Amino acid sequence: MLATLFLLAGVFLAPPAHAATDKPSGLPKTLRVGTEGVYPPFSYYDASDKLTGYDVDYIKEVGKRLGVQVKFVETPWDSMFSALQSKRIDLVANQVTLNPERKAKYDLSSPYISTTGVLVVASDNKSIKSLKDLKGKRAGENITSNWAATAKKNGATVVGVDAMDKAISALTQGRVDAIVNDKLAVKNYLNTKGTKGVKIVATTDDKSESVFAARRGSSYMPAIDKEIRAMRQDGTSQKLYDKYFGAKAAEKSGTSDWQVVKDNAWPMLKATLKTTIPLTVVAFLIGLLIAVLVALMRRSSVLVLSWIARVFISIIRGTPLLVQLVIVFYGLPEIGIKFSTFISAAIALSLNVGGYGAEIVRSAISSVPDGQWEAAETIGMDYRTSLRRVILPQASRIAVPPLGNTLLSLVKDTSLTSMILALDLFHQAQIAAAPTYSYFALYCAAAVYYWVICFILNHFQGRLETRLNRYVVR
Amino acid sequence: MTDLLQATSLAKKFGDHEVIKDVSFSVPRGTVTAIVGPSGSGKTTLLRGLNALERPDSGIVQIADVSVDFAKIRASRRGRLGSADRALLRRYQAHSGMVFQGHNLFPHRTALQNVTEGPIVVQRVPAAEATENARALLAKVGLADHADKFPYQLSGGQQQRVGIARALALEPDLLLFDEPTSALDPELVGEVLDVIRQLAKEGRTMVLVTHEIRFARDVADEVLFIDGGLVVERGRPRDVLDHPKHERTQAFLRRLLEV
Repeated sequence: MLATLFLLAGVFLAPPAHAATDKPSGLPKTLRVGTEGVYPPFSYYDASDKLTGYDVDYIKEVGKRLGVQVKFVETPWDSMFSALQSKRIDLVANQVTLNPERKAKYDLSSPYISTTGVLVVASDNKSIKSLKDLKGKRAGENITSNWAATAKKNGATVVGVDAMDKAISALTQGRVDAIVNDKLAVKNYLNTKGTKGVKIVATTDDKSESVFAARRGSSYMPAIDKEIRAMRQDGTSQKLYDKYFGAKAAEKSGTSDWQVVKDNAWPMLKATLKTTIPLTVVAFLIGLLIAVLVALMRRSSVLVLSWIARVFISIIRGTPLLVQLVIVFYGLPEIGIKFSTFISAAIALSLNVGGYGAEIVRSAISSVPDGQWEAAETIGMDYRTSLRRVILPQASRIAVPPLGNTLLSLVKDTSLTSMILALDLFHQAQIAAAPTYSYFALYCAAAVYYWVICFILNHFQGRLETRLNRYVVR
Repeated sequence: MTDLLQATSLAKKFGDHEVIKDVSFSVPRGTVTAIVGPSGSGKTTLLRGLNALERPDSGIVQIADVSVDFAKIRASRRGRLGSADRALLRRYQAHSGMVFQGHNLFPHRTALQNVTEGPIVVQRVPAAEATENARALLAKVGLADHADKFPYQLSGGQQQRVGIARALALEPDLLLFDEPTSALDPELVGEVLDVIRQLAKEGRTMVLVTHEIRFARDVADEVLFIDGGLVVERGRPRDVLDHPKHERTQAFLRRLLEV
């Protein structure tokens, strides 16, 4: 069975990442650039749903000058370097702060912007005035970021927070004592959302420089560095800086949460229709097929088959779906098997549904009385015909309610695929929330979408159950 | 009269328990054989052995032109049969139809669909023909008006009669009944026995395990009294049931009549 899966998988294998036609500059014709898309003002979606920001514009300009096409791949920060290593992207343009560890591991460009860090605390905090006061305190940081390292170095305990607005909320709610973050990012947030409840108390001594990062041995950097120098000299860098960090940039009109939700209702619906629903349908159907096969293997008198089934079920049910997604998407490329985001998500979710469904199907089959197998046998049916005509139709009646649960879980679990770059409903909500910082409102809106889908599915499940129950006493 | 069924030296163990020790008998074509005996005597196991639902460990059974030597049918350690054995058993089973104690109708199919299932799915009879035939069979067992009901909508006696029609639909040479009335309420027993009696009159070859001594006396051409996995006594009903020679048969019948 697994062999069949791999065979199937082979059909969908993505073609090799690049053709060998590299530019003389050492850069590929199409440069795949990883960026978060949820980190204003460096990388975010503007009101007209266009990816923009300082880093985005900067690398676009570099690409234009070098005559390579820049293709952005939205990637969550925590997966950014996995994506780079697994060759899903060629370059990171997302405020990668220059540090020795990174310098040792990756090819880095020369800095294209520099900033300092700032220390932010709640307005009523009187005990933290400088980085030194962080000792023994809790700092809300993106755990893989450079700022987390700075906070740690000064003796703080780092609490993982993945977005600026969550960091600020954690601060005002007293869940963390301080935030160390990029001055530009913090200012941008405070410009958008107002400074209520927080204050900037210090800047870090060392200035932080942001660079582009590529895999080791990429040979992109000489060409990129040359353009960075040129852009600094001809004033392009300054123009971009003014656009995103200048006085004008500060006077953004704050939009109400309600307006943000209204503006994003359609994009979120689109993401639902284009990703969330197709993914759910595909994963559920393939997952059901896997579930039935594995359930039958599990019941098989052939020991090898039943053990394979047991191990499969045990692994799927015993490991987090998130890990399964990451293994399929980032792990398999390490051994040369690479799928697109959608296929990866469909594989991981199908296997997950298969693992949970197998036990449901197995117990449903077991609940059909032996007399049914015997009656089928005495009218001349073989094993397969008995299953198809007699056992599975009856087992399905037993299996539908628990499988319905699996389906509803699946609908919501598709939100995890944003981790592997899927542009699903939840990811769309994140993107929309980033420039406006309206996380709470947009996540609530996303919750409503999920709920509506589940409500509709639940309705159909009810009708299906009624139909399947038509032959039993009520 | 030629024998339709010939069973020689059947034996079956469940673990260490010898349920059938050494049973041989034959059933001439067009006759009815009743198997009686106390519970736990092995009579149901014997009947299920004739249909290979419970494969005997050894012994030979010939039904019509198919003969199976059960000692030669050996499952692998994992309980699987070779494809030749499976094919042989399938041909063997095709000669007999089974009516179960608990009817075992397919609950998700109507009475009519229960009857047409075998002919259409297994024998590949065209649906129209199978349906016509099935309606005739349902009429024969007195259920013409109930063809489109699900089993749960029928009484126990009606369900059992659908079970009989389902077995008949495959036109087997031999009909096997496993205590067809013992799961029924007393007032429903009669309608099922009437159907079986009718089939006997038509000259069907049947083997039935039953507790209904009076009925056995009425329809059977031969009675086998089984106890402890052996045939204790056999013969015409009036000999075995009215004038039992063996002490165990006498004790069994006495117990039954006391009730």
